[in-house]
Amino acid sequence: MSLVEIKDLKVHYPIRSGFWNRVTDEVPAVDGITFNIEAGETYGLVGESGSGKSTTGKSVVGLEKVTGGSILYNGQDITKKANRRKLDYNHDVQMIFQDSLSSLNPRKRIEDIIAEPLRNFEHLSKEDEKLRVLQLLDIVGLDADALYKYPHQFSGGQRQRIGVARAVATNPKLIIADEPVSALDLSVQAQVLNFMKKIQREFGISYLFISHDLGVVRHMCNNIAIMNRGRLVEIGTRDDIYNHPLHIYTKRLLAAIPETNVNQRAAHRASRLAVEEVYREQQDKYYDDEGKAYPLVAVSPTHSVALPETIAKQLAQQETEVQA
Amino acid sequence: MAANFNEHSDISAADLTRLSQEAKAEATPSSARIIWDEFKADKPAMVALVIVVGFILFVMIASLFIDTSKVMQTNIMNYFSAPGADGLLLGADSAGRSIAQQLIVGSRNSIGIALGLTVISSTFGICWGLISGYFNGYIDWGMQRVYDFMMMLPMTMMIIVLVTIIKNYNAVTLTLIFSIFYWEGTSRLIRSRTLAESEKDYVAASKTSGTSNFKIIFREIMPNISSLIIVDTTLSFAENIGVETGLSYLGFGLPIQTPSLGTMISNANDPNNITQYWWTWLPAALEIIILCLSISYIGQVIRRAADASQRQGAED
Repeated sequence: MSLVEIKDLKVHYPIRSGFWNRVTDEVPAVDGITFNIEAGETYGLVGESGSGKSTTGKSVVGLEKVTGGSILYNGQDITKKANRRKLDYNHDVQMIFQDSLSSLNPRKRIEDIIAEPLRNFEHLSKEDEKLRVLQLLDIVGLDADALYKYPHQFSGGQRQRIGVARAVATNPKLIIADEPVSALDLSVQAQVLNFMKKIQREFGISYLFISHDLGVVRHMCNNIAIMNRGRLVEIGTRDDIYNHPLHIYTKRLLAAIPETNVNQRAAHRASRLAVEEVYREQQDKYYDDEGKAYPLVAVSPTHSVALPETIAKQLAQQETEVQA
Repeated sequence: MAANFNEHSDISAADLTRLSQEAKAEATPSSARIIWDEFKADKPAMVALVIVVGFILFVMIASLFIDTSKVMQTNIMNYFSAPGADGLLLGADSAGRSIAQQLIVGSRNSIGIALGLTVISSTFGICWGLISGYFNGYIDWGMQRVYDFMMMLPMTMMIIVLVTIIKNYNAVTLTLIFSIFYWEGTSRLIRSRTLAESEKDYVAASKTSGTSNFKIIFREIMPNISSLIIVDTTLSFAENIGVETGLSYLGFGLPIQTPSLGTMISNANDPNNITQYWWTWLPAALEIIILCLSISYIGQVIRRAADASQRQGAED
């Protein structure tokens, strides 16, 4: 059984208007997505901004009110608040936020910030709690003198590591990492990501890694889901997505990764333009009449794509021929 | 599970005291320390602080030794005695009552009412605003309609009517009557900041850390809007001195037999007093001006202390 099973998850925001302020329409931020997160793996959720990936993450951690569908954890549907409370759900599922500064209360000392989940879930003695905080700081590579400082006294990378330490404090099974490094510069990104990987190895934590940066996702994730307009357009292993993309949206995302090989510049440009050409001409083929993605169709045991079955088969066929 | 952490970190219980001492040495100063440094850096504010604290203490203690009913007895021999004459430091009014003694007892009454009013109305307004802003949705809607209703009532008229209806009112009942009407401004101000504040990620992080709503409101959000609360409270304290004074001036505040700053200023209703007998009203007027100015100076210093970028005091 998977650690977390997300089934047909829907989060719709109401649009209110008119004199009586009634609900007149809905924004389908997340519109029926299904995937599973296995224990100990890093699951990547990729998409452009506004595609609903953060909303998905927040629903999984219990911050967002879910419109429909279910999220099963240990066989219990945790979209219901009562179930979350019964399970002490957030003891096991924590979150790392994108903006490290705003996710740490500026008026609290680092000790109190990291100890917050411990105080709520584990009720340790004062000494044990302080010891645990010191150990957590050590695990994320910060010195003990951080203990009584305030968040604004740290650099962005240090702050994000404090965020990681807080998320790890209760030794959770799953951490939702909502673009944890997108606000950091490249050298610091690597540092934080390596700490996250190290912690995963040592504590056997699963991550739901939300990002728009395909380079980072390739470094971190074994399984990847691509999201577009509130729906999943492609699911697969790292190899499936990066080497055999089928959906035009995945291809466009991959084409957008910058290449540093100057000699090949013309070739890269040509391939990018080719993808864009296909997108412009064959858009109708990849999206349904309302401009939304089709339901997912499996083309291999690990690889699914959101296309009508015939087209999916045909594209998969082409792909294998190209490989051969 | 603790074993799990012990395995992956070199830090063990043996290092605990050494490391926490190291951390203490590097600790950031407490906020009381920061506020004090800020006062030391700003001389006028320091003077203001001494004036306000010294004056309030003096008034509170001195009034204990003054028998109010005796002070308020008419003494025709001292009719409009000039300052200095007959051993009256600030002279006497038309009923021959000592202005200096009235001033001390009157200040105690006025400042007491202002303090009580500020504590009650600000506490209520802050709680109302925090809860309304944090929960949003239906709770916010309901609470804001109550607010709208209270705003709609003509405040001064209502207070005058209530004062007339209630027979034997005194300083305490008057404070409570004022408190019914003076929490609204604070609550709206606090609500708007709470709305913005509760969208921030640290609130979401507290939720995922399992902290209860009540704790998030009062332990997470409230400290973050503390600068706003402090400034609003100090300014409304200065304003509240004016509330009682104004109504007493109009004759609807404290009963005539109870001296207050307002009743003393109402001596200025008489043109004769304004031109000839200036000592009947000028001390009270000056006192209000000095008190209000000093309080707003103090408020500014506390606001600066709360905002690291505006600090003038010692760094680190």
